[in-house]
Amino acid sequence: MISAQATISRFRRDLTIGAVVRGLLFLAVLGSLTLGPVLGPEFNGALVLVAIGLLWMVLGYRSLKGSRLAADSPVLIASGRFDEAETRIHAALRSFSVFKAGKLLSLHQLAVLRHAQRRWQESALLSRALLGQRLGALRGLSKPSMLLLADDLLHMGDLAGAHESISRLYQHRLSLAEALALQELQLEYLARIGAWDQMLGQTKSRVQLAELMPPTHAARTQALLALAARKTGRENLAQWLARRANLVGDARAIVAERPFLAELWPELKLGSI
Amino acid sequence: MDLPPPPMFADVQSLLATSQPRARLPWMTYALVAIAVSVLATTLFGGRTAGQQQAAEAASTFVMVLVLGSVFLANSMQARALRTEHARLEAAEELVQLRRWPQAAMLLQSILSRPARSPQARLQALVCFASVLSRFHRFDDVSTITEHLLETTPLESAGVHALRLARATALLRQDRLFDADRAISELRRMPDAAESGGLALLELYRDVKTGHAAEGLEIFAAKKELIRRQFGHRIADAYLLAASAYDRLQNTQAASDAYRTATLLAPAVELHRRYPETAGLAGKYAAEPAPAEVIG
Repeated sequence: MISAQATISRFRRDLTIGAVVRGLLFLAVLGSLTLGPVLGPEFNGALVLVAIGLLWMVLGYRSLKGSRLAADSPVLIASGRFDEAETRIHAALRSFSVFKAGKLLSLHQLAVLRHAQRRWQESALLSRALLGQRLGALRGLSKPSMLLLADDLLHMGDLAGAHESISRLYQHRLSLAEALALQELQLEYLARIGAWDQMLGQTKSRVQLAELMPPTHAARTQALLALAARKTGRENLAQWLARRANLVGDARAIVAERPFLAELWPELKLGSI
Repeated sequence: MDLPPPPMFADVQSLLATSQPRARLPWMTYALVAIAVSVLATTLFGGRTAGQQQAAEAASTFVMVLVLGSVFLANSMQARALRTEHARLEAAEELVQLRRWPQAAMLLQSILSRPARSPQARLQALVCFASVLSRFHRFDDVSTITEHLLETTPLESAGVHALRLARATALLRQDRLFDADRAISELRRMPDAAESGGLALLELYRDVKTGHAAEGLEIFAAKKELIRRQFGHRIADAYLLAASAYDRLQNTQAASDAYRTATLLAPAVELHRRYPETAGLAGKYAAEPAPAEVIG
């Protein structure tokens, strides 16, 4: 198992090396174009350019090969093959890359893996390290990273940090999948701070969005809304939502994940979960 | 929930033809050849006068910078076009998820009316378009698309399964029962067929449609959990079909319970639109009323 701190240090070192290599190659290109008159007829700028081009192609090929090592990791993580995903991500992070993007992607995948392994603290550290970088062409990665970080912080009980991450997400244009994930995180955060009335703002659209989520998330979201409805005395709505949550998901599994939802299904004994 | 009026649909065969990816020019090969020629020219003129050598070097450096610059520009333009196509496909998928069918239809037709950048993008657009066509009950077109993809596109087992499922559903909706049954048999022979919630739902539908209520209920009992795990809210479909099977067997209490469960998860109108054969249940059994907070 790779330690998050060691990975981040290595990641930063590799980014520096990559930047230095890119800088040196750029200087070499400039030199080959401008130093001809200074160095005289023996200096063949065209040949130097070809050599730089070849070196760039070799380095680029090696970098792409390295980043492809971890390309399958999302599928491996989704299917629960964590060891295999770990090996591939480790290999991708250790390989040399002249491009920043490959390293950033591998770091994000490691954060996702740690999240799936329920190692919230490490996942949060990795996501923070990623968000601290200038993402350039990979700026689309910032939103999934912020969502991951907010979820990690909620699991760690860092409500202030989670609030900050969630607030930052509101400044971005989100895809539907990201908006669904944000709604779930926001409801969970509001439930933790007991903001029941706020949870039930725009109930209809919240329920419609929940219907678009994967089953376990749809069930959990509706259970959270049901709890808010119960806390605010809307028993009809609470029962309707709790029944739907239990049909789409499984009440026992929902309560095992979030024990504070147990009051929706008093017939379930916590000891039996 | 009435279905909005269908948009003008283009001919599916034309869209299949226009969306074929075009062969790309091998820019990298041209660039390498140009660089090799310029290096060769420098070497050939290397043995002559100093002036000629300098001129050759300057020309070859200029050619190389020009070629590398063009390759960079071509790659940037290609990457931008790929990003645009990806964004349009993502938007179309979101419109389908949000059930904005006419808008999804228009966008997908626009995507498919020009050559796709990659076979994967074309596949994604066609699969999306097939689900839109299915919503507008254009099952002939759905069959055309799925058959075309199954014949021409190399796919992984899961992709083949999904396309065969869509094709079999379209055949069933067209009342081509013999073909549908054969398509279902093909699906059953595929690996992991026992773990397919989609196949279970399709078999339940077939049994309800052909009047084999008892067999349908057996499938419902055995596969309910699997369908729930894979489809979430679409478990409502299974409850609706089970209600229809119970009704046929004159088990009115069980039919009423199943109908209420189905309509707890999805509006009755939407469910009957998906399965027109079950429309009669609406007059016989009471739907689960939704709370005021989620209606208005």
